[in-house]
Order: sequence, then structure tokens, then C-alpha cells
Amino acid sequence: MPIKLLFQMSVRNILRHRRRNGMMLAAVVVAVAAVVMMNSLIRGMQQDMADAAVENLVGHVKVLAPGYRDDPGIQKNFELASDWRPPDGVPEVAGWAMRVRVPAVIMSERGTRGIQFVGVNPQQEGISFLSSAHMTGESLKDASDGRIIIGQALAEQLETGLGRRLVIITQGADGLNREAGFRIAGLYDADGEGMEKFFVFTGVGALQKMVGADVFTELSIRLHQEPALFVLKETLVELFTGLEVLDWRELEPQAAAMFIFADAAVLIWFFVMMGALVFGLVNTLVTSVMERIRELGMLRAVGMRPRSVVAQVVIESSVLMLIGVAAGIAGGLAGILAMGDGLDLSAWSEGVQSFGMRTLLRPVPLADDVLLIAFLSLGLGVVASLYPAWRAIKIKPLEALRR
Amino acid sequence: MAEAVAAGDAPADAARPLMPAIAWRNLWRNRRRTWLSAGAVAFAVGLTGFTMAIQAGMYRTQIDSATAFFAGHVQLKRQDYIDRSRFEHTIDGVTPLVRDLESRPGVVAVAPRVEAFALASADDRSFGAQVLGVDLERERRTVRFFNRVAEGRMAERPGEAVIGSALARNLSVGVGGEVVVLGAGKEGGVAAMAATVTGIFNTGMADFDRSLMVAPIAAVQEAFGLGDEAHTLVVRIADVDDSREVAAALDADLPPGVVARSWQAALPEISQAIEVDALGGVLVYAIIMLVVAFSVVNTFIMTIFERTQEFGMLRAIGMRPGTIMGMLQIEAFFMWLLGIGLALAVAGPVIFWLSEFGLHLGDAMTELAGQALFLPDRLHAKVTAAVLLTSPLIMLAGVQLAALIPSLRIRRLRAVLALRAE
Repeated sequence: MPIKLLFQMSVRNILRHRRRNGMMLAAVVVAVAAVVMMNSLIRGMQQDMADAAVENLVGHVKVLAPGYRDDPGIQKNFELASDWRPPDGVPEVAGWAMRVRVPAVIMSERGTRGIQFVGVNPQQEGISFLSSAHMTGESLKDASDGRIIIGQALAEQLETGLGRRLVIITQGADGLNREAGFRIAGLYDADGEGMEKFFVFTGVGALQKMVGADVFTELSIRLHQEPALFVLKETLVELFTGLEVLDWRELEPQAAAMFIFADAAVLIWFFVMMGALVFGLVNTLVTSVMERIRELGMLRAVGMRPRSVVAQVVIESSVLMLIGVAAGIAGGLAGILAMGDGLDLSAWSEGVQSFGMRTLLRPVPLADDVLLIAFLSLGLGVVASLYPAWRAIKIKPLEALRR
Repeated sequence: MAEAVAAGDAPADAARPLMPAIAWRNLWRNRRRTWLSAGAVAFAVGLTGFTMAIQAGMYRTQIDSATAFFAGHVQLKRQDYIDRSRFEHTIDGVTPLVRDLESRPGVVAVAPRVEAFALASADDRSFGAQVLGVDLERERRTVRFFNRVAEGRMAERPGEAVIGSALARNLSVGVGGEVVVLGAGKEGGVAAMAATVTGIFNTGMADFDRSLMVAPIAAVQEAFGLGDEAHTLVVRIADVDDSREVAAALDADLPPGVVARSWQAALPEISQAIEVDALGGVLVYAIIMLVVAFSVVNTFIMTIFERTQEFGMLRAIGMRPGTIMGMLQIEAFFMWLLGIGLALAVAGPVIFWLSEFGLHLGDAMTELAGQALFLPDRLHAKVTAAVLLTSPLIMLAGVQLAALIPSLRIRRLRAVLALRAE
């Protein structure tokens, strides 16, 4: 039987019961739209967590001296020329930064706190949150700038402010304590108070002078796109024998676990929604077959092949799903547009930040996800039509006509 | 029905007492459809019930490990200490206050803590440390943290201290080693304290392991120039669910400037994380139920369409539209009942098993477990009245409404036309 005719018959069968099929379509549209929207929010969350992890001085890949992670200190260092640059063969490098990062104690007249003291080259810090954080006062001028930048929250705790001097104590490369005074050049405002209380920045040259060694404790590299990570890591492993080359998933296992979890969540939501849908779909299709027993029996009697009967039911289901999925995706995308810049979660800011997310949840619709949803839904439409189709070919022409 | 007709006046309406039986039979006129619809209801109810039980269990453990492990169910601090955390903002007269609090209703135990920040040194290595002065005997009755150390024993006498594993490694001291603490005292003078490390704890939480040092409260008070003072009083109450109520009751009668905060107020990151998660859950449940409600509407559209003749006949012998709609409502109710039965049969044992034995989450989650969110490494479901009743009752409302919408047509049904319908 020509496919065009089968198609025509299926469409007409759908149109025979507008109310019922309209209701079925509405269910498909709601389910698909919800999955598309939910998906984009989960992806937004995922990207947010990954970005935050990468921006917090981690980068996509970090080179560290062995043992630094267990016992972070100036003794676990390595030497590197200050004009080092990544080899040309590595694609997609967005930037790199060489830093000295050591635990230290910071003191004002009013208080004492434990911090991470980070020596940076401000020209290289385009890759970390430092370049995008809101700054009061001045930023560091260059790598030899001997002033410090501290977080807003830390300044409040220490009851200090711009232009004031703070004393910082840390261990020198020789193992002895060093103590030095630093003037505050600027206050930064980061996304979470935790960071503001944790990191204090100065020029890397100034910190090297303080600890008395011309070395670095970390090299952090950020990429434009994550897929280049593997190439980069391999190149660095060859380049830095004896040092640890770690990517952000190894450095931030919590964020990485959340990342994997979000991948699974995307599929879980899809199957949950489709599970809720499939009962109604099978119900509608079976009814539509059973109502047409006489008609199908007659068609079989005049010579319609069983496979054409199956095709008819499958096409009917697929057409329903196709329309529903198209409208659902359109509805989902419209919903995403309606969210605008994103959902404002600032009412739960502390809770959200403990997940490593920002307070504005941006939906990120991925073409791949939408395509996957579309294909899986259509596949589901075919699977759901198998039982009704099997019912349809079980109809015996003679018995059906006698009813 | 024959009897009812014989009885006279409004024959068909007299069949009302028979309605449940008739509705039940109607349900089985199309077995497949009934089971599919009940299956959809069971899917929605079973899945949401299951997820809600897991959420409830997870929140419960999360709250328990965040509070009963270290932070306590209720915390007392001075308001200015909460705002600016300055060392001199201490609660005075702690000993009588603790005794007073311990006698209040709902309070199980109270433990005072002194919190100082100082430089801890061993030989020529120095690191910043959070020095916590505790009343060990009271702490043990209040939170779990002080019951166990990974190595050695708890600090019991002045001159002893326990420190976190990362701090011990950074200072390269072991049990028996000597640590000197230098900080600023209450009056701004230098505070110094020497202690022998009697134990090392390893919580898996970076903040604790890297910077915490615990010593007897008397020694810390003396070294930092404090009298009978503390920064925080940690309270254990009989039931963590009453945290807000107990905190409010305690708050009504406290020395000026001191406030009692429930764990929700003291640990906003935990309570908000739970709120956000719960809100996301509600959204998903609502959509699942909506999709299932659409299927149920569909079922009744099909039922009513197929039974047009029958309804025409019933109208013709005098049954009122309302009675027919009532019959359909009873059918919907039975369908819901079947769905609930199915859900109980399938999801019930799973939920029960999870609440009894729990599910190990695997290594990826264990990695998260010890971290800031206090997620448990074993997932236990928790069955409460809310878990058992919420989704079935919402689904019941949904099913009844879904049956009502298509049945509104019956009011416009003309008996003669309906009888002639195909």
C-alpha cells in the first residue's frame, strides 16, 4: 500500500476524534515543554558550577608540585621562567597564570584571620574571578606591586579599609616565619563571602621577595572550550615531568560529582515525564484501534496486508507525537525566553552558593539536548504504538465483520 | 434496577444506593483502559511518594549531621558577635546561664564555647588556627563531634589540645607533640598558650581538619583573658523539628544582647539548600500530576463518547444528569483507588526497604557526603503522614476533576438524539 495513502488515513483517523486527540496532544506538549525547560535549567546549573569551579583560581588545568595539595606551602614549589608560555600546539588556550599561593595569617589592629595569600601577575588574571569582580579602590598594577587586595567581607571582619596597613605572617622558603606590612590598594566583591574571606592578593614578585625564593607554586591554564582539555593535559604532562598536572575535575571533586549528576538528571527527568505520558498514549491508541475493529476487518478482508495495518497505527502515533513534540519544544523555548536573564534565586542565596552556583539561574538550552528529547520522544511514540498495532493485526477479518 | 422501577416515583434515581456497585461494574467493561488509567495514577502517586520519602529522609539526615554533629540544634550568641564576630563580644556569666538553660523545657544539654583565632606554631612552622575552648563533659552530651578522635584521645585537662589532621600535617606534629598558640586577648594584650597534642581528628571536612584546635574551656579563657565568658552556647533539644519553637521560647528570657537562633537561622545555607531542593521537587511533581490528569481526562472523554447511547437510555427512563455524573465520579474514585493500590503494591515495599535499610550512594556521592552540604553517604527514606497522603490526595482531586470536565456534556445530552447515536 502506498505510504502516502497510509499517511492520509492515519491523519484522518486522528482528526475523527479531535477532542480526545487534542487532549492527548496537550499532555504531550506539557510534558515535552516541561522537559525542555527543566533541561535548560539543569544545564544552566551545571555550567554555572563548572564555571565557578574553573574561575576560583582553578582554571581548567593546574600544574602543582607533588605534595602541594596535601601540604600547601612555599616548600612545594617549582621554577618557571616568568615569560613562560604554553607550547604553540595546544588549541583553544584562553590564558594562563603563574602564581604563588601560600597559607598565611593576616592581622589588623582589630583582628587576626587565617587566609590564603596569593601572589599574582595582574596581566595574567583575566582567566580568574579577579578580573571580573567588582573592585573598590585600585587593582594591582603589575607583578611587582607590593600592595594587597582583600575581600570586602574580610575588610569588615578586620575593621579595616582602603589605604590601611595590615601585617601578614607566612612561612619563608627556608622554613622560617616572615612578617611584613602591606597597604590595602583595593577591596574586591566576589560572588560568595567565603571567597572574600579566604583570598588576599598581591603582586607575585612582591610575594616571591617576601618568601625569599624566585619560584611559583601553581600554573593555572584556562581554555576557551573544554574539549581541548585532553590535548592540553597530555602536552603539559610531557613538559613538566616530576610535577602534578591536574584538571578541574580532579581539583574540585565536589563540583565534578555535581556535574556528572546533572548529566544523569537530564535523562531521569525525561524518562519520568515520558513514563507519565505513555499510559495515556497507549490508552488512546488502543481505543482508536478497538473502535475501528469493523473497519480494519473490512480492510483486511479486501486485501490490506497486516504490515500496512501496523504501519497505519505506528504512523498515527508518530504523527500525534511529532505535532506534540514540535509544539512542546516551541512551548519550552518560549518558556525559556520568558525567563529572560534567568531565575532570581537570591532569596536562597546562601543555600544556592553552597551548591557552588550563582544566585541568578540562567537557562542554557543546548541544541543537542533538544534534539535528543525530540528523537527519544518520537522513538517512544513508536514503542507505545507497538501493542495497539499488535492488537490491530490480531483482528480476524471474518469475526470483525460479523460484530 | 428492576426493583427500583417497581418501587415507583423516580425510578432511575432510586437506584442511587446501587451506584457504587454499578460504577464498579462499569469500570470492568473495559479492563484494559481501566488498568492503563489506574497505571498512570499509580505511576504518578508511586513516583512522587517514593521521591518525597527519599527527600524527607535525606533532609532529615542532612539536618541531623549539620546540627547534632557540631553546630547544635539551637545556638545562643550575642547579636553583635553574630554581626561582626569580634572576640570581645562574649556572653558573660556563662556558668549560671548554662545551668538556667539546662532547666528550661525541651532543652536536653547546653555547652559553652570560646572561639578565638590565633597563630599555632610547632617548632618553626606556623599556621592560623581556630582555637575552640570547650567543656568536654557537656559537649559530649550536646553534639557528636567530641566523642571520637582518629588518633590519640580528647583533650581533657588544661595544657592539652586536639587538632585537625591537616593542621597537624601542616605543623608536622603528631600525638604527644607541642603546639604554641599566639593571639590577641580580650583587652588587646598578647594571648599565649602552650599545649600538648593528645589527639588528632579527621572529619573529612576541610574547614575543620585544616584549622580547628580544641582545648579545655578553662585554659582558653585564661590564656585569652576571659572570665566566666563564652562566645557561643550550643543547645541540644529533644526534637530537632522543634528548633524554631524552642529558640523562640529561650529567646524570650535571656540576658540583654544575647539571642537564641534555631538551626535554620544559624545555618541558612543548609535550610535554604533544602528549601530550593524541595521547591524544585514540588514543581516536578506538579507537572507529572498534570500530565497524568490529562490522560485521565482522555479516558473519560473516550468512556463518555462510547457510552452516549447508554446515557441517552438512562436519561430516557428518568435519571437526572447529576446522577449520571455522580456515577462517573464514583467510577473515577474507584479508578483512583485501584491506582493507589497498585502504587502501594509496587512502590510501598521499595519505600519500606529504603527506610529500613537505606541505600549506599556510591563513591561519587560519598565524595560529596563529607563536604559542606552534609549529605549522608547512605540514603534513608522517611515515611511520614505528609509523604503518604500528599500526593494521593492531590491526585484524587485531579482525578475527580478530570472526570468532571468531560462529563459536563451529559447535561446537554438530548435523550432521543443520544439514543440514535452510533
